[in-house]
Amino acid sequence: MRNALLVRRLALAAMAGALLSIWAFPVLWALLTSFKTERDVLAYPPVWWFTPTLANYREVLFGSSSIVPNLVSSMVVSVSTTLLTMLFAVPAAYALARLRYPAKRASGFYVLATQMLPPVGLIIPYYLALQRVGGLDTYAGMIAIYLTFSLPFAIWLMVSYFEDVPFEMEEAALLDRAGRLRALWHVILPQVRGGIAVTTVFVFLNAWNEFLFAVVLGGNRVRPVTVAMFNFISVEQTQWARLAAGAMVAMAPVIVLGLLAQRHIVKGLTVGAVKGGGRR
Amino acid sequence: MNKQGSVAIQGVVKRHGSVTVLHGIDLEIEAGEFFVLLGPSGSGKTTTLRILAGLESVNAGNVYLDGEKVTDKEPGERDVAMVFQSYALYPHMTVAQNIGFPLKMVGQTGDTLTKAVADAADKVDIGHLLDRRPGQLSGGQQQRVALARAIVRQPRLFLLDEPLSNLDAKLRMETRVELKKLQRALGVTAVYVTHDQEEAMTLADRVAVFMDGRIVQVASPKEIFGRPAHASVAGFIGTPPMNLLAATWQGSDVFLEGAGRVRVGVTSTDARPVTLGVRPADLRLAPEGLAARVELIEELGDSHIVIATLGSERVKLRTEPTSPLREGDRVQLGLTPDAAHLFDRATGARLN
Repeated sequence: MRNALLVRRLALAAMAGALLSIWAFPVLWALLTSFKTERDVLAYPPVWWFTPTLANYREVLFGSSSIVPNLVSSMVVSVSTTLLTMLFAVPAAYALARLRYPAKRASGFYVLATQMLPPVGLIIPYYLALQRVGGLDTYAGMIAIYLTFSLPFAIWLMVSYFEDVPFEMEEAALLDRAGRLRALWHVILPQVRGGIAVTTVFVFLNAWNEFLFAVVLGGNRVRPVTVAMFNFISVEQTQWARLAAGAMVAMAPVIVLGLLAQRHIVKGLTVGAVKGGGRR
Repeated sequence: MNKQGSVAIQGVVKRHGSVTVLHGIDLEIEAGEFFVLLGPSGSGKTTTLRILAGLESVNAGNVYLDGEKVTDKEPGERDVAMVFQSYALYPHMTVAQNIGFPLKMVGQTGDTLTKAVADAADKVDIGHLLDRRPGQLSGGQQQRVALARAIVRQPRLFLLDEPLSNLDAKLRMETRVELKKLQRALGVTAVYVTHDQEEAMTLADRVAVFMDGRIVQVASPKEIFGRPAHASVAGFIGTPPMNLLAATWQGSDVFLEGAGRVRVGVTSTDARPVTLGVRPADLRLAPEGLAARVELIEELGDSHIVIATLGSERVKLRTEPTSPLREGDRVQLGLTPDAAHLFDRATGARLN
């Protein structure tokens, strides 16, 4: 009996470990690669023991092909996109979740339907449209394009969080003379804090990691880090070590954001407020 | 300041799509009254309360508070407080912040706010819980926080939507008593929704009984029990409720097919189809009367409920636990003339 339990646990742990390593391998491999010289990178069979070097980091941060300006570029695009998205998505999602107005169902479906369009099909229309208005290779143009897919996604995600807030809580706030806006601010928004954190992280991640639109619609003035990293791959050769170092540097802000947001994604905050509440 | 808390509802109609929830109700509630809206679920009582609160609009009719028309006013402009069935506390705020919220919303701060919160909390005995959050409280404590939040701003009208239904039986009875005391002490008008007739009977100065979106009777609990205005009220009030039997009323007698006849205190010249209502406690064994057969006896401890067939119908009677009745016995049942309630068979309206 006892042994059976032990075996079960070991088997579970082994399986979990196997799945985890599949997930972690590329990341760890890239991390190792970023400390290798180009010679060690190309060694076959792969070497596990090598003399680590910081040369790649020095190059991608301070060298001639520094990606720091591109990180700034990415930051401008991603932060602006995220802030604008949340600014519009939160009230829009609240309205979709709560208010009664004509064609509510249709507009809800429209928001979701925009997510069904394959992005590839939009590149050329977007390119032409931006060209017309002089928006190619500008921050404003890039951010506007990012909003077209981040906004529907954020609204769709936030609606479900708003729908989880009991109606009565809001009605109580209305009776407590808060009015609709203050009820939203003081009572409803604190309930969906976790949702706002999750949505912010996802929107930022999508914008930060976006490559397809950036490479086509950007160029010289607006050149996010994903595009810059692509330059380590050229016709003659691929600079794997630098690419890996660049990837590691580009990952850092996202990891920091994830850690920061995690503290706010508190589960079960609504438990006990309402009988039968606390569905999250 | 005209802040008495009297309520008038005139001809209020409420529809949800094609369903009419309220068919034009009229109601007058006096200032300082403890007024209960009683009825089965779906009868429109909660909708009426929500209309008073301003949380629901009306399709026709008007609502007046202290003579002032408030039909189209926002909930926050009506100076009413509400305790929700789910309590609807704000989970991210402490108890003190919850109670203080209605005052904070009108700009109160500092010592006056703190003192008002402490006073309200003391009135419902939760002064020691002010720093907790709702999630850390028991159901009974949460309920008190909801009460404190409602009384803290001394509203002119206090609305309660089945506030005790989430408490266990013992706590419910204790809280019931305290609620009544609190309302008396504050002198505030209370409108209280419940489907629990015992709550209605113990709490109310007056009760409005709702059936299918209409008010069928407004009266004191005593009168509702003693002289139900309608067969549906009779069949809803009492544990177990009144027996309702199809019968024919002629002269001063009521005939029950296949069971016999009983004498009632009033006379009808022609034969008239009626519903005879008798409370289980008013039915007793008699030397002659209605022939019945005992089917089942439920022992409740302090009394027995005897279920008997009478003609083609089934009746319940309440007896002493010492009653010699056994299941299967054939008996005669009688009632005193003034224990008979007569209702029109077609309309359900009271006839005597």
